[in-house]
Amino acid sequence: MGEFKVHRVRFFNYVPSGIRCVAYNNQSNRLAVSRTDGTVEVYNLSANYFQEKFFPGHESRATEALCWAEGQRLFSAGLNGEIMEYDLQALNIKYAVDVFGGPIWSMAVSPSGSQLLVGCEDGSVKLFQITPDKIQFERNFDRQKSRILSLSWHPSGTHIAAGSIDYISVFDVKSGSAIHKMIVDRQHMGVSKRKCIVWGVAFLSDGTVISVDSAGKVQFWDSATGTLVKSHLIANADVQSIAVAEQEDSFVVGTAEGTVFHFQLVPVTSNSSEKQWVRTKPFQHHTHDVRTVAHSPTALISGGTDTHLVIRPLMEKVEVKNYDAALRKITFPHRRLISCSKKRQLLLFQFAHHLELWRLGSTVATGKNGDTLPLSKNADHLLHLKTKGPENIICSCISPCGSWIAYSTVSRFFLYRLNYEHDNISLKRVSKMPPFLRCALQILFSEDSTKLFVASNQGALHIVQLSGGSFKHLHAFQPQSGTVEAMCLLAVSSDGNWLAASGTSAGVHVYNVKQLKLHCTVPAYNFPVTAMAIAPNTNNLVIAHSDQQVFEYSIPDKQYTDWSRTVQKQGFHHLWLQRDTPITHISFHPKRPMHILLHDAYMFCIIDKSLPLPNDKTLLYNPFPPTNESDVVRRRTAHAFKISKIYKPLLFMDLLDERTLVAVERPLDDIIAQLPPPIKKKKFGT
Amino acid sequence: MVQLRPRASRAPASAEAMVDEGQPASEEEEAEHGLLLGQPSSGAAAEPLEEDEEGDDEFDDEAPEELTFASAQAEAREEERRVRETVRRDKTLLKEKRKRREELFIEQKKRKLLPDTILEKLTTASQTLNVKKSPGKVKEVNLQKKNEDCEKGNDSKKVKVQKVQSVSQNKSYLAVRLKDQDLRDSRQQAAQAFIHNSLYGPGTNRTTVNKFLSLANKRSPVKKAAVQFLNNAWGIQKKQNAKRFKRRWMVRKMKTKK
Repeated sequence: MGEFKVHRVRFFNYVPSGIRCVAYNNQSNRLAVSRTDGTVEVYNLSANYFQEKFFPGHESRATEALCWAEGQRLFSAGLNGEIMEYDLQALNIKYAVDVFGGPIWSMAVSPSGSQLLVGCEDGSVKLFQITPDKIQFERNFDRQKSRILSLSWHPSGTHIAAGSIDYISVFDVKSGSAIHKMIVDRQHMGVSKRKCIVWGVAFLSDGTVISVDSAGKVQFWDSATGTLVKSHLIANADVQSIAVAEQEDSFVVGTAEGTVFHFQLVPVTSNSSEKQWVRTKPFQHHTHDVRTVAHSPTALISGGTDTHLVIRPLMEKVEVKNYDAALRKITFPHRRLISCSKKRQLLLFQFAHHLELWRLGSTVATGKNGDTLPLSKNADHLLHLKTKGPENIICSCISPCGSWIAYSTVSRFFLYRLNYEHDNISLKRVSKMPPFLRCALQILFSEDSTKLFVASNQGALHIVQLSGGSFKHLHAFQPQSGTVEAMCLLAVSSDGNWLAASGTSAGVHVYNVKQLKLHCTVPAYNFPVTAMAIAPNTNNLVIAHSDQQVFEYSIPDKQYTDWSRTVQKQGFHHLWLQRDTPITHISFHPKRPMHILLHDAYMFCIIDKSLPLPNDKTLLYNPFPPTNESDVVRRRTAHAFKISKIYKPLLFMDLLDERTLVAVERPLDDIIAQLPPPIKKKKFGT
Repeated sequence: MVQLRPRASRAPASAEAMVDEGQPASEEEEAEHGLLLGQPSSGAAAEPLEEDEEGDDEFDDEAPEELTFASAQAEAREEERRVRETVRRDKTLLKEKRKRREELFIEQKKRKLLPDTILEKLTTASQTLNVKKSPGKVKEVNLQKKNEDCEKGNDSKKVKVQKVQSVSQNKSYLAVRLKDQDLRDSRQQAAQAFIHNSLYGPGTNRTTVNKFLSLANKRSPVKKAAVQFLNNAWGIQKKQNAKRFKRRWMVRKMKTKK
């Protein structure tokens, strides 16, 4: 493999935002997650829990509720008082409707999927009709005294339970009037000055209303009589979320201490028909508040302030007990936030509202394998570029020569020219960018930095020629047929001839840049593409999918390479396929065409195509062979996949030149250190 | 003892003599009818009598002038008319002043509004769904301070009337009613304050992340330090000064050595 000097970078201060709402869609097995900065991400749970699409956030948007309606339509409502519908094909917001009730705290879709109910700050509950292209206000229900914090429909669609501060109301949908008002105790068996906030309600088909509140109680109410049936005190802190399974035999609640409790309907004795709700399993996978939970047919999903998305499959619901039934914790982003300029050793970090440009440090010392070399020159923070406006940055890129920086938000596209004199850097913005470049999903510079490739959310691919300080729009490849499956990824060859674009259901399209036409299409695969790259001399396109399959496709020959066919015939090692996190970056060695370097969050791997492939019985993770081992042993254990887990968690890894690697790590403790305060836990002896 | 103002009596004496010497004499008279009226009216009542007295200086011995009822009535009417006139004049003056102020305000307000062209465009745009703005029209928008509203609405803020987003060559803007924006922002702030208070406010049992993560360290068999034991933000200025001093000292040392 060779010896490399590795730049270990830990100064990328990446802190993801906390998860606020989660909505599970049963038909397509997709999960929509909204975060506190307004970003909405869509995860495909059947494609190995890969984040397919995302909608960038906005400063004024504080989403409080998210739900799926009939026909795969996604709606969200927030504290800015608007209901927004997201367009999953064009990857933008279709429209936003102002509700005129103040900040919206809760939203629920009717069981039929055609009506939408919102609870507002002023105590009103408003009913909207979902029409094929928009939503329309229907009527108001009786106005309540305090803000409506949670809503739930009865499965038949005739009644509604609304949780507010210190009380729960049950409404009749037809008349819109409140039938019952159930007062919630402020504290379980006691008095308290703090008001009891009912964070979640759920309406079951037998008329039971389950409520969770800030005193730590889970209470069961009878909606026919408006009385309390049973009360469970499960935590010392707030219980903030509740989700009921479709069959109504289990539900899950999340508390502010980070614990998730599973309640199940079990028979009282083994052969009786009477059933009761029993708290069965506690899960402690979070450190901070669990603000949202969801219940899919086979798993419990929870997310909260500690930014992890935890999916816990329930063992009794899973049919096949294989690796699929393991806990999944999604912490790190599934796309690249870092770009690198190899010539000048610069790294561009993308944050939500600004970009940072760093120059890597250097060292003159040498050492043996495993040594840490002291820096002679520290890493330099060259540039801190703040974006104008409240929108988040969607994507960014720096050119390989380091003189151009481009980034895009929903409404604008920014291109900057950098000049380096001695150690100083000066920035100049290129003005009058064309409007069709805005809302770009992916930006890429060509290897010689003369061309800029932009994939816009309309589906079109734009090629812009850069020269001096100005630009010229060369060509736009129109969107091909096929639905948008995932965010578009781009890859360009080092000689600048070929451009590959993924994201549609038709497969990966390869375009000829010199002749400006479509060259070929890689056959479609049913899992989305997570990373792509084109090898320097052979022009082989290497594609990594979310189910951990790696394909190699030869662009000039328009067919899969022999190596790829061999790999597919033999199949990957089972440990390779069981990896949790997707491959986010692929790169190549300039002098060794047989090597492919790729990485995911917990490992990086160099695939040597000249070595034999491992079968299921060999050891996949080879420890570093000591030099005094005999040659025979080394040859026996040698296989194509050289995996190293030294640097983790990895956000980015790339080859700077023949002897240098750069690895950007983000230790989990550094993220946790910057989170909001958690609930105090009293332990004996401290 | 209140010193009552001297009241002129009907006795034919000079005014001054009345004022100076008549005090003890008038005091008694005042004691009879003056006290009821109080001081000011006594003063008012004193004056015409004095005038009369002054006029009648030559005719010391004559009887006071006889005023017929008619003349007195006429006089009174004159008085009333004069008073009415002054009041009417005052009122009209005030009215005019108010009118002028109103006009001034209306003009100022008009100056504050967007130019009519754009308002027209907005209303027509709300009827038709297509909005096409030529770059020329956009240039017409004079960059006064009123256009700060437009620029503020540049970043996709909602419009009360209609969301008009024109993507023109020079700039794209959204017209926003500031009044609604302020109201909405304040309500959003209040809502966020509510959430913050209920989750992190007083009465909640919160602790810092450092203490939370250090619990494990405290309970382990070998007690370790807290997770964030060092406070790197302490004394930054002092450390910088020390570094600078050290550098300068080294340079000085090198120079003296040579």
